[in-house]
Amino acid sequence: MSALSEMARSARRGRSGYNYAYLDESAKREVRRAVLKALCLPGHQIPFASRDMPVARGWGSGGLQISLSVVESDDRLKVIDQGDDASMNARALRALIADTAEVETTTDAREATLIQTRHRIPEDDLHEGQVVVFQVPIADPLRVVDSRASITRRMHAEGDYSAIWLYLYEDLARLGASSFSHSYPVEVQGGYVMSPTPIPRHDVPRLDGAPFVSLFGAGREATIYALPPYTRVKPLAFDDRPFEVESFAGPCFRCGASGTYLTEESHQGEAVLVCSDTDFCRRRREGSA
Amino acid sequence: MTPAETPVLEMHGLTVRYGPGCATCGRSGWVRCPICGTVRGCSSVDLEVYPGEVLGIVGESGSGKSTVLACANLDLAPSSGCVVLAGADVTGVGGSRRRRLRTEVLGIVYQTPQQGLELDLTAGGNIASRPLAAGWRSYAKVRERAFELQSAVELPEDRLDVCVRDFSGGMRQRVQLAKALANSPQLLLLDEPTSGLDVSVQARILDLVRRLQRELRMAMMVVSHDLGVIRMLADRVLVMHQGRVIEHGLTDQVLQDPQQPYTQMLVSAQLL
Repeated sequence: MSALSEMARSARRGRSGYNYAYLDESAKREVRRAVLKALCLPGHQIPFASRDMPVARGWGSGGLQISLSVVESDDRLKVIDQGDDASMNARALRALIADTAEVETTTDAREATLIQTRHRIPEDDLHEGQVVVFQVPIADPLRVVDSRASITRRMHAEGDYSAIWLYLYEDLARLGASSFSHSYPVEVQGGYVMSPTPIPRHDVPRLDGAPFVSLFGAGREATIYALPPYTRVKPLAFDDRPFEVESFAGPCFRCGASGTYLTEESHQGEAVLVCSDTDFCRRRREGSA
Repeated sequence: MTPAETPVLEMHGLTVRYGPGCATCGRSGWVRCPICGTVRGCSSVDLEVYPGEVLGIVGESGSGKSTVLACANLDLAPSSGCVVLAGADVTGVGGSRRRRLRTEVLGIVYQTPQQGLELDLTAGGNIASRPLAAGWRSYAKVRERAFELQSAVELPEDRLDVCVRDFSGGMRQRVQLAKALANSPQLLLLDEPTSGLDVSVQARILDLVRRLQRELRMAMMVVSHDLGVIRMLADRVLVMHQGRVIEHGLTDQVLQDPQQPYTQMLVSAQLL
């Protein structure tokens, strides 16, 4: 972006009286610089100066800072929380971005250009040109094996991932299956091991060779990492114990879809399984998915 | 032992100083330099360990034997001198090369199991950590290897998936040994392997170590202050005192007919 358009943009104030896209220009530039570095080193964790945001840390402040830094006024924005467009947190984040950056919003993942998400990738097949921003609680996949950042940094630097393999071994020996229900560790392009945030295992294979840009922001941990389009993403698994996604007892109660990620909901006092992606489910029922 | 073979481990003029060092340190005969306070861990140690041979290092606390072992395990870079492992100079290596050498060439059993084991992991996990570090990616093969080693060190079969924390001291040493042997090391380092155990367990563990060494024809370096351990395991022995090797030779020869006054004292001071 040229310096002139940058100036024109900062001169134009958002509806709410804040600077364009809430953050000041130098803050956005710093975040964008970290994003660029992260895209150059897929899966590598880049530190950035995480700002104090009008949401608590741990409530999407990392994703929010990335979204605000990359948003353009011609973007169409979708924000979801666990696949739900209408949750309180998604609404609040969407309102903040839409008000300060003056962008249109949508709930249809196919027409959104910028998608901020917690816990899910929308069920629709996303396409080139879309940017998916993930809210990350724990950035380091090696946190489970060692809580000391100095140690895990060395492991990443040396490509020494034996500890996480040992963790997988222990799970199989003790439990007979992997205990990762979410944040399943993945190997990126044969190099860094990365945590794909708290997305369920169902969504992990969808990151492999994905045409969209994935940006991961951890506000509390002040870390950004990213996957450029068409990056190889391979879940860590033993050759003879292949990675498995969740399986569900039956299709979606509402739209009848099978093969989507389902969550439990109460329907007239009875537990039923429904699509976690609410907008996809709605469009299927209306016949437009 | 055939001298024509390449030694698994060679150390030449190995000197380790703990401290800043000064101009006087090198020249003075003191273990602790009176000017800068630098302590000499060991000085001008030369040794070779040949394939299939067991070298013992004996000496009192503070004699420098653990310093020599730490250099062999690449924990410590010598102040001068060099360490040659399997024909390659590895003096002062670190990072991923050191990790690879530790995975592929070396195995170590420490005095306390806490040093060598993750107590919160299962016995099988501790053993499996080494094949996994060497890049094994088949669960069945790793598992099979863990079973092999578990029976080699005579651990009860049903304890493989139990936390090491729930094991007795002797059992933990057996797990350490299995872990050290997991990648068939060329050189096994034993640092006071039985010092924390009671006498009957000590004897059983030493028997086991001796049997495995014979079966696997593997080189070993045993560090101990216990002459009984050295007598039982070692083919050759170095006696260390104040950081220097004061006597070396075949174990029987040195222990039956010690030449140096310190060695004579050490042999005669043994509890019977």
